Amino acid sequence: MNVIASGARAWYFWTLIVFFVLLHFTLHVTVGLGASAPDLLTVSVLVAARRLTGSAAAALGLVLGLLEDSLALDAFGAQAVTLTIIGYLGARSRDLFVGDSLLFVGVYLFIGKWLHDVIYYLLAGSAVRGDAVFRLLVQAPLAALYAAGVGLLALVAYRAVTGER
Amino acid sequence: MVDFIEGTRRGRRRDAGLAGAVLLVALFFFFLPSGYQRPVRQAVRGTALRPFLAMQAEVIEARDGRVDISELRAERDSLAALVAAQASLAEDNRQLRALLGLKARAGPAFIPADVIRPGIAGGESTFMLDVGRADGVEVGSPVLASGGLLGVVWEVDEHSSYGIDWTHPDFRASAMTADGQAYGIVEPRRGQFREEDLMALVGAPFHSDIRPGTRVVTSGRGGIYPRGIPLGVVVGIEEADTGWRKTYLLRPAVRPAAATHVLVGVRRAAGRGGDLSELWHVGAPPDTVAQPVEADSEADREAR
Repeated sequence: MNVIASGARAWYFWTLIVFFVLLHFTLHVTVGLGASAPDLLTVSVLVAARRLTGSAAAALGLVLGLLEDSLALDAFGAQAVTLTIIGYLGARSRDLFVGDSLLFVGVYLFIGKWLHDVIYYLLAGSAVRGDAVFRLLVQAPLAALYAAGVGLLALVAYRAVTGER
Repeated sequence: MVDFIEGTRRGRRRDAGLAGAVLLVALFFFFLPSGYQRPVRQAVRGTALRPFLAMQAEVIEARDGRVDISELRAERDSLAALVAAQASLAEDNRQLRALLGLKARAGPAFIPADVIRPGIAGGESTFMLDVGRADGVEVGSPVLASGGLLGVVWEVDEHSSYGIDWTHPDFRASAMTADGQAYGIVEPRRGQFREEDLMALVGAPFHSDIRPGTRVVTSGRGGIYPRGIPLGVVVGIEEADTGWRKTYLLRPAVRPAAATHVLVGVRRAAGRGGDLSELWHVGAPPDTVAQPVEADSEADREAR
């Protein structure tokens, strides 16, 4: 892993990533909120990918994707493949875009989550409800907006606590 | 937030190669035959996700304490009535079989369970139950809500199980009209939203004229679902295929999103699953075509 943050900052950062993952499974599995809970797993991969090499981000996506896949009876592995691709693309996005303003991060999370839903839809096939237009142009942007909003809130809180910019 | 080192060209190439290898591993899992995927799923659930699954029971208890008590009581009363009716029928059945000198046949038994929907991508038509192998649940166990059939169990862990509801694309149930005049297969017709989902009775004879409002129940054929469980009510004809068969649309008896407390079949009758018509006052005629062969009783009679 190509992380050069100071020890304390890296510790805080990875605590945030673990928090996203734990909260995701707590809301979806333990509490059973279902679709009304945001997709924090994708958010965690996207956020982590900005500080990892492409291969490390892909590996993180693979592991988290397999965790989620184990809960679904359909399309096993689709989430793993999707998050692997998203992780790699998220890491490589640094070559094109450099920024850490809230606006940039919000747009990054929105596009990343939307792309995630597009790739997952293509892979999962009949496991996903609805026709492509409705799913990808109505539901996916709304889900992306929700995930990006929650991700931004968490990042604002994180920056307030750590003082990181 | 951005904090990274620009890699060299060679380093990036190596990194891309490694990422490609990771993607290959992910694709390996994706294309793994379903028979091999199941142990992987169970291993992950039994290790990394175990704490989340273990905490479910406590959360469900706490949640039940907060919901509208009258609503909860109504749902539980309906399920309890089903169990009570089933118990009396089982007793009648036992006494009649004793009078005829027949051995007791394993009948369907049900245990209560709570439904949890993880709400993850690709899991819209699946659910989790807080009962598992230790409670007698097995693959193929029917899952009943107070209104009728909800779905079927597909995977079983020690203390939890996973199933599909009737909106799943792979769901099929052998069905008949409540009067036994027309038989067919019920399959889902998915809408844009869960609330728009309907069922379809396909393969009904072309000469059949099933009126809107007719109840459709499981026929008991196929060995999965007991006979007589409500599936839905006919709302109209969907299509008439080339003069050979008709397809009817049904309004479902159970809306999966509303089902929180269910009954899970833990013991099915040998090869068929029994008749539950009376539990819902369906009054379906006896299945004269597919009567179970009483091998034991025949042997008993010969012995006598």
